[in-house]
Amino acid sequence: MKIQVNARNRTHLFEASPGEKILHSGLARGIALPYECASGTCGTCKAKRVSGEIDDAWPDAPGRKSLKSADEFLMCQCVARTDVVAEVPAYVQMMDTGSCVPCAGAGRIASTEMLTHDVMLIDVDTDAPMEFDAGQFVLLGVDEVEGMRGWSMVNFDRHARRLRFVVRRKPDGVLSDWLFSGTSRFGTRVSLFGPLGHATFYPSLGRDLLCIAGGSGIAGVMSILSRAEQDDYFSRHSGDVFFGVRTARDVYFLEEFTRLRRACGQGLTVTVALSDEEPPSALVNDYPLIRFDRGFVHEVAKRHMAGRLGNVIAYLAGPPPAVDASIRMLLLSRVTADNIRYDKFS
Amino acid sequence: MQKQRICSASDVPDNGMKSYDIEGRKILVVNAGECFHAYQGLCPHQDVCLDEGYFDGQLLTCHQHLWQWDIRTGDAVGLAEAPLEKYEVEVSEGEIFVVQSSALKAVDMLKDVSPASLERLEGLARREQLPAGTVIYEVDDPADDLYVLESGRVEFTIGRDDRTRLAGFMLRKGEVFGWAALLEQHPRRIARAVCHEDSVLLRLNGEAMLEALEADPTSGLMVMRRLATLVARHTTGPQNS
Repeated sequence: MKIQVNARNRTHLFEASPGEKILHSGLARGIALPYECASGTCGTCKAKRVSGEIDDAWPDAPGRKSLKSADEFLMCQCVARTDVVAEVPAYVQMMDTGSCVPCAGAGRIASTEMLTHDVMLIDVDTDAPMEFDAGQFVLLGVDEVEGMRGWSMVNFDRHARRLRFVVRRKPDGVLSDWLFSGTSRFGTRVSLFGPLGHATFYPSLGRDLLCIAGGSGIAGVMSILSRAEQDDYFSRHSGDVFFGVRTARDVYFLEEFTRLRRACGQGLTVTVALSDEEPPSALVNDYPLIRFDRGFVHEVAKRHMAGRLGNVIAYLAGPPPAVDASIRMLLLSRVTADNIRYDKFS
Repeated sequence: MQKQRICSASDVPDNGMKSYDIEGRKILVVNAGECFHAYQGLCPHQDVCLDEGYFDGQLLTCHQHLWQWDIRTGDAVGLAEAPLEKYEVEVSEGEIFVVQSSALKAVDMLKDVSPASLERLEGLARREQLPAGTVIYEVDDPADDLYVLESGRVEFTIGRDDRTRLAGFMLRKGEVFGWAALLEQHPRRIARAVCHEDSVLLRLNGEAMLEALEADPTSGLMVMRRLATLVARHTTGPQNS
């Protein structure tokens, strides 16, 4: 199928394979179509159909709330049935040289491990190596469950053959129910599309690193820390990580944070913020290299970063209200918008 | 839009903002303490309501993707890729009125032109109302005039005969096209420009514009710098697909 996207600055032409989402086809050809969640919730990838027929894989997608007419659709959910001409009211360039162009792939679940009562660590072995930037995510799907979900990589490796994720059990999540059902999912084939996401970290940024993550938003932060560690970044710039969870039983990665603190030295500070209780003294005593505090993660970050926000680049991840609260806090502390990075999932 | 009452000054709290639906468009009123400002109410990026964003007394921020604007001018700051359309505000007996400002004031290329020269340029501008389907110019037509979009939508096509391709479109007030009229030895159009909807344009003769700018070299230099940036953006962007 031929797809023509009329953008504000120019027209892009590309081929879409049968069944392939229009957004995926364009991105895989290096066209920087607008998107954020790429999974139907944010509405950023909206386009207007000028001609041709499309099938919508998810007519109830929450991201459709931002559509204004029957002609508009989400490129991340729609597949072309005929040649399609669509309009995107934005400037659409080709991706920068050197960026990781996403593509479709596959793999299998290599291991799973419960990190807390409701958080699972999952390793996926990919059929082909994947290049990604620290802070990026992939879309992952399994045959048994409809649709794909965005999961951030925890690791950072060149030519990665293994992708590591953390997934939190959600009350009404279909994929979550499938994963946490108690049945071993070892060996299950998965389909992948990625890498995706704009909240990427490069050592050449040369600024003090600030990461504020709520819950499983910590995944992308771990990838960023891994990249920074490999580059010895914290010998030149400070790093402050704030990890917010509700209670002591919800926290994980403490051994890894301790290892990172030893490897990176004084330059790196890790603070765990508990919103619902005072940090138990047993926890504080067991992890002397980690700081514990009580409060919402953005408030704790504000307290500890007072006077030290002048040269930061901030990475935010987690539940949308937590990300919004952190954005507000940073903007009101005069951190400029170009130094605040996150991918919106709502 | 004629002069239009929006609200009472007391409706918008200090350092606060509110948006109002006026004749089918959303207008944002911002109370910056010592004065009021009025802008388009929707973010030019993705039509997000700006009253849900942040205002810190100097910068207005859209909460979706952190595009920001200088509250005094509506100029794009930081990540923002487009300015905000500004309305002239009048406060009279506690009531706030707005008037649509001239499209020339929204032209990025003319941002630093002195008020006197801008007035002279206003004098050169002919306002044209064109119905949908009007061909503004064809490929190879002489590039005499420069156009500023006031409202509507203009599409560009490159190529000839049956090998043509859409090469973008303009829909924001203050967008400029046909700027080849300001270049020497570049007297021909390279694209076809067509009104895709009923559109209102300001049309300025290139030579007359250059003459006006020669009389005010400081303003002229600023225009040429911004024009150079515009040309560079057009020539460095990848063109093949």
